[in-house]
Amino acid sequence: MFKKLLIPIFSIFILMGQMPPNIIIDENERDIRIKPNIAGTEVVLYGAMPSGKKDIIIEVVGPARNISLEEKRRIYGFWLGLGRADYFQVPSYYNIMSSKKLSEIADQSVFDKLRLGVINLPLGNAKISNSNTSQNIFNKNLKKYMLDKGQFKIGENEISVKSGPGKVGIFSTEFLLPSNSYQGKYFVRYFIFQNGEFISYAENKIDLKQAGFSRVISLTATNFPLLYGILAVILSGSLGWLISTIFRRLKIS
Amino acid sequence: MEFYLPIAEMSINPIGFLILGIIVGTLSGTFGVGGGFLMTPLLIFLGIPPAIAVASEANHIVGSSLSGTIGHLRRKAVDIRMGNVLLAGGILGSFLGIYIFNSLKQVGLVDLLITASYFLFLTAIGLFMLYESLDSLGYFGHKKRSRYYHHSWIMGLPLKIRFRRSGLYISLIPPYIIGFIVGIFSSIMGVGGGFIIIPAMIYILRMPTNVVVGTSLYQIIFITSFVTILHASTNQSVDIILALILLLGGAIGAQIGVRLSGKLNGAWLRIALSILVLVVGLIMASELIIKPDNVIKIISGSNL
Repeated sequence: MFKKLLIPIFSIFILMGQMPPNIIIDENERDIRIKPNIAGTEVVLYGAMPSGKKDIIIEVVGPARNISLEEKRRIYGFWLGLGRADYFQVPSYYNIMSSKKLSEIADQSVFDKLRLGVINLPLGNAKISNSNTSQNIFNKNLKKYMLDKGQFKIGENEISVKSGPGKVGIFSTEFLLPSNSYQGKYFVRYFIFQNGEFISYAENKIDLKQAGFSRVISLTATNFPLLYGILAVILSGSLGWLISTIFRRLKIS
Repeated sequence: MEFYLPIAEMSINPIGFLILGIIVGTLSGTFGVGGGFLMTPLLIFLGIPPAIAVASEANHIVGSSLSGTIGHLRRKAVDIRMGNVLLAGGILGSFLGIYIFNSLKQVGLVDLLITASYFLFLTAIGLFMLYESLDSLGYFGHKKRSRYYHHSWIMGLPLKIRFRRSGLYISLIPPYIIGFIVGIFSSIMGVGGGFIIIPAMIYILRMPTNVVVGTSLYQIIFITSFVTILHASTNQSVDIILALILLLGGAIGAQIGVRLSGKLNGAWLRIALSILVLVVGLIMASELIIKPDNVIKIISGSNL
């Protein structure tokens, strides 16, 4: 139903029957130009890698956004949201996909060194006011929240690796950039592992030129608040009028 | 199927919210109330941040009250002059309400304001309805008509004008003040205020009951439009998608409710509604007292 968008991450890779030295992807930045769609944008990533007993992890990090958290404290028996943490550099989207379960690919210490995974994702400095809670605790809650809401994703086993000609493996994966996706650059990092060890790396970027449908609504609300309010009233009023007209017609006929 | 609410920043099941709209719409059609005072708490229970629930509900009521007013206008059951006086007071009141709302939002107390207002109002209305319906069933053993007492000092105020449709010749000041008070609560609670304004019209202004609902709905269209625009332009908390889903469900429910209302026993229905209102009020209060599952939660994202 919605447009499938193919991003040729690599243009044409050499299929000579010999093992490529490492991962091959297109190093150029790719633009995605799509019309806003209710469902979002489907993105396909693919490329070539050495075949054999190798695993791949792909990480996608979206443009930064603002987020505020509130901390409730008990005062005079009431739970009130008094503490506050304001973030300015939280990735609006994060997705880590892998060809196997992450724990089967390598140890956590290896991922930590590569700064890979939700745990290692930097959220930037938060401005904490009226609270003694450390940023670490706010970070943990924010990450949990983002995972629950599907803004951060862990897609284990979501990359398929097929053997191509010779010793080349072709990997591919697809994921949905939701309709609330932010406009801007999405950094894509590719990591190849063998026997629990990191062996090669590549990166490129996707430039989402047009924000998703929901994002367009929230951008309008933020940038043109008066216009948005008037539109909201007109839409609600017209729908109300339309409904009353429909029901009146139904009663007559 | 999932819908994403752009301002509340959450995915919802639109069918569930449509059904919620139908249920509250049926109740409001049956009892002739706007339904905002039930819908906003329910939205909060379902995880919509209180500030967004209030602003979006105001937006929802714009459509539902317009839909209702059209019917009353055809039956000539709207006192437009009275509606305009109430409205003039209401606009000033909603400015004050939004000012209070935004000042408390700055210091993190807006949830307390919303929850406490709801608790107080729902408890008061619930008890009043319970009393009145039990009374009409004869439980208190006195058939009194003395509720319609005469406020001589109110009638003695200056600036008298004629409200032809209501058959009244009274001062502008009482309706203006009533409108003002309703405007404040309308912006704080995301309600039309029918549940405050209708009793006020009957007991204080002594308007004939046949024009009360239409006139109340008429002024609610404009008050909630105004409140929607104020919320949108001062704190960007109107979720248009949420409002439209609720409106669609509410309109269907209202039609069911109007048909049901003739067939059911009014007093027992009001007892049921009053108990529902009291329960919602209590749950609302418990949100403030019981330790939340998540002490830390998100309050705003894009709309900072």
